[in-house]
Amino acid sequence: MSEKPLAGSRLSRRTWLAAVLILVVIPLTIILGIVVLDDRKYYFISLLIVLYTMIPFALVFEKRKPQARELIVIAVLAAIAVAGRSAFFMLPQFKPVVAIVIIAGVSFGAEAGFLVGATAGFVSNFFFGQGPWTPWQMFCFGIIGFLAGILFQKGLLKKTKLSLCLFGGLATFFVYGGIINFGSVSIFSSQFSWQVLLASYVSGFWFDIVHAAATVLFLFILARPMLEKLDRIKTKYGLIEPGDK
Amino acid sequence: MQDRFSSFHPIVNFTYFAAVLLFGMLFMHPILQAVSLASALVYSIMLNGKKAVTFNLLYMLPLLLITAVLNPVFNHAGVTILFYLHNGNPITLESIVYGVSAACMFVTVIIWFSCYNAVMTSDKFIYLFGKIMPALSLIFSMVLRFVPRYIAQLKVISNAQKCIGRDVSQGTILVRARNGMTILSIMTTWALENAIETADSMKSRGYGLPGRTSFSLIRFDTRDKTIFLIMLGLIAIIVTGAALGENTMRFFPSMKVPDRSPLSFIVYLAYLGLCLLPVIINAVEEIKWKRIASRM
Amino acid sequence: METYRIENVSFTFPEKEKKALADINLTIKSGEFITICGKSGCGKSTLLRQLKAILTPHGKRSGHIYFSGQLMEEVDQRTQASEIGFVLQNPDNQIVTDKVWHELAFGLESLGCDTATIRLRVAEMASFFGIHTWFRKNVSELSGGQKQLLNLASIMAMHPSVLILDEPTSQLDPIAASDFLETVKKINRELGTTIIMTEHRLEEIVPITDRLIVMDEGEIIAEGTPEQVGTALGRMKHPMFLSMPTPMQIYAGVSNSLPCPVTVKEGRQWLNTYLSGKTAASMEEVSEGSTAVVSSAAAAAISFKDVWFKHEKNGADIIKDLTFKVKEGQFYCLVGGNGTGKTTTLSLMSGIVQPYRGKVLIGGKNPAKMNVQELFINHVGILPQNPQTLFVKKTVRLDLEEMLSQSTMSKEDKARKIADIVAFAELAHLLDMHPYDLSGGEQQRAALAKVLLLEPRILLLDEPTKGLDGFFKEKLAQFLQKLNANGVTIVMVSHDVEFCAKYGEICSMFFDGSIITTNTASKFFAGNSFYTTAANRMARHIWRDGVTIEDVIERCQRSL
Repeated sequence: MSEKPLAGSRLSRRTWLAAVLILVVIPLTIILGIVVLDDRKYYFISLLIVLYTMIPFALVFEKRKPQARELIVIAVLAAIAVAGRSAFFMLPQFKPVVAIVIIAGVSFGAEAGFLVGATAGFVSNFFFGQGPWTPWQMFCFGIIGFLAGILFQKGLLKKTKLSLCLFGGLATFFVYGGIINFGSVSIFSSQFSWQVLLASYVSGFWFDIVHAAATVLFLFILARPMLEKLDRIKTKYGLIEPGDK
Repeated sequence: MQDRFSSFHPIVNFTYFAAVLLFGMLFMHPILQAVSLASALVYSIMLNGKKAVTFNLLYMLPLLLITAVLNPVFNHAGVTILFYLHNGNPITLESIVYGVSAACMFVTVIIWFSCYNAVMTSDKFIYLFGKIMPALSLIFSMVLRFVPRYIAQLKVISNAQKCIGRDVSQGTILVRARNGMTILSIMTTWALENAIETADSMKSRGYGLPGRTSFSLIRFDTRDKTIFLIMLGLIAIIVTGAALGENTMRFFPSMKVPDRSPLSFIVYLAYLGLCLLPVIINAVEEIKWKRIASRM
Repeated sequence: METYRIENVSFTFPEKEKKALADINLTIKSGEFITICGKSGCGKSTLLRQLKAILTPHGKRSGHIYFSGQLMEEVDQRTQASEIGFVLQNPDNQIVTDKVWHELAFGLESLGCDTATIRLRVAEMASFFGIHTWFRKNVSELSGGQKQLLNLASIMAMHPSVLILDEPTSQLDPIAASDFLETVKKINRELGTTIIMTEHRLEEIVPITDRLIVMDEGEIIAEGTPEQVGTALGRMKHPMFLSMPTPMQIYAGVSNSLPCPVTVKEGRQWLNTYLSGKTAASMEEVSEGSTAVVSSAAAAAISFKDVWFKHEKNGADIIKDLTFKVKEGQFYCLVGGNGTGKTTTLSLMSGIVQPYRGKVLIGGKNPAKMNVQELFINHVGILPQNPQTLFVKKTVRLDLEEMLSQSTMSKEDKARKIADIVAFAELAHLLDMHPYDLSGGEQQRAALAKVLLLEPRILLLDEPTKGLDGFFKEKLAQFLQKLNANGVTIVMVSHDVEFCAKYGEICSMFFDGSIITTNTASKFFAGNSFYTTAANRMARHIWRDGVTIEDVIERCQRSL
């Protein structure tokens, strides 16, 4: 699984699919939602949009018939993200998921980053209980992994501690915190109001800060050794063919 | 007691939960909401017993109250003004009722999810999605296998680390976090290096050959078909009701519940039937079993 | 009909000069049971991986391999997947899915079989292997032996014509290993499947092998029936001879012209024939199950007094009324079956768990109340069962240095200390390698070095010989004896009866959460009837006190 396929035809196919979704399906959903759903429109429209964004990844991934080794790497990283929690049982709110998802995105590319994140979000809820928050979590973790991969590919994100920590902190606070809080507001309040949203951001502030700080700390200590380990795996066991750098 | 509904085909289970969750989140009609909440309560107690009772009382009741109170503080729409807050904002009857209704909906959904978690076990989910998303569902299956294994391994590693003088349960937060990360780091190497053999084992057993099929122990039998058809019928009635505007009410500016017609009652009954389907199945099976047992 | 024909095959790993396989020529007939042995790194695993193209590592190969008369490269993927079954070493790593039934069906799904076919084959396999009782379980609930059996069954479900097994029992306890090998035998006997396996545990596998192949440095050095190979190795005075079954070794140590025995039963008959007309050498008196008090003037390093332990409040007792003492400077072995509480006893010693009744004292103090520094620095050292749980860094050198990172020693002192340990554990040539690239025995030595950097006075070992071949076991024994001579107290938990008999000082038998009997190693095994070494089982009707191979050979030679 190299970064290469992403840059090639696969990215374009996904871009194409994404374009259809953004230009056709999403506006349709919004219009239909407003016309038909009335009061409950916010939750359903946003939920559907969240689901739409995940579909192209799933489709593209299934379509290209991934190799055993790709599946394994994604599964292992997602499982580490979920299980890693228990290494810090004595520290509340100390979740390594975002950090590991970012590392996955940087090391194995945007697609793998997204899949590791979404899978971790989904599977962890098999252990902690599924709920209306599941799609939101999947989306947040996934999109952070995706962003990490894209930004790294474009050279905006470097494999340095500073760069990774900065991205990790911002992504956790704004992307994860921002979207999850919006999601939880949309779940139970039907009348959209800025005040409610603001209240939810305020009440979630410390929670998000701790989460972001934990991610930064994780990346600060873990990023380098983890990336080294993944590189070793990639070359030693032919996860990327020699010369396919 | 043992839940019989769980033994039905996953597609039946899944359709049921998709329907009750979707309808539960959509319909803001007092009768329909009451039906959904009551059924969810009954079924959750049936599934999880005492645990469900404490869960509902301890977490769901306060949650309901808080959400109900919160809405009128932010929402000032509605024509029936009860009083004014000291910042001059009005508190309206409509917004209180709406708050209660929205809170009810939220709690109902959470309780339905607690039932969903008990019935839709991971293997059922993997079965359903194995057909349309084989690679991803295999990933899910692998992650579900790895997670308990990794948690056990983390424990082993943390004990081994403790035995060379690095304890995760002592020291300052930073020291603890650091030791925790060492453990996670060791686990990562272990997991990645060992996973190569897993990949070999998959390749060795032909993974990646074209035309992979998906096997399961589950069969869609007559009783699944019967229940599935009944469920679809009920859903059709409810959706018709929804299309005719029977299933929701107006809150703002003033409250208005749609007039009740014979059709409304049919829709209410259909909804009750749908929501209570697992409970009814359980009851019928129980009676049947008692009859058989008494003849033996 | 031949299953494999291997012609002049050589193999070199990338960036290596030495050939991992050199000029291998071998023909394997359909239905044969072939065992390949040799010390770690002799190329036997590399050879096995050549037999299934999809698992062959990167590298340069010359020569030809034919599978059923067809060139390996031309055998298509589907045929390879279904016809050539491959069982790997670690039972856990091979399992892909989370349910037993799904794992059984995995290969058949890949082959694209329809539901009805899979249903039938899975049912057949579950019945053949006795899996039906745990068919619907999660794989995480299974024991190691069950997992390996599941791996075997899920491969057999594809109906392969040849089954290749790479040290399949090295991670299993003796009873699970016997069960597993018994099943392999059954497959060969009842289904006629060709078996090619590598194995350390030759004692049990040699009697059922048609042909034994010994490899060294990438070459085949001996080949033939077990008797022929045993004789050949004995003549060559090759170190691999020490891995041959006990009766063969005893036979070779005694000059005689009788046919070579392979099993204990044959060994007994051989001994009887050999001694007929001779007077058996005299023996010391040993009474059955004697628990002679092992007296020693030394102070107690570890003492357990009326210790009871359970994991959960309402759970079953794991340790029941356990009382024993380990004196300073002893080499103490705890033997016994699985789940009898041996490993829990080690955890109690290290303070990881605490008894709910009774006292555990390490050097007169309660380990659970001591802080980690006090307990584990210069005091108690523990070598975990899986050495991989200690490796943090990317080279062995960094890993050793990391161990002292929290110490206040000067740089020079640290360097000197590391150099000493490296010399002691013979790690010099491995320092720049990644810990995971080392072989099992080398990993264990590196882990031992890490633990020894803390200069323990008491060393606790959990199954240290698991997965090691005879050569590395010998090496480990030398290290332990050296440490012991320097005054380090050693407590070892093990299934390996032969190892304990040969090197242990005191042995205790664990059963049902407590110690049943304790004695010096030779008296301990002489007092047991079944739970004893192969040499003892072979000769105990004549010499009860003959515990090791050397004992029996010596007595044979004295008999005139």
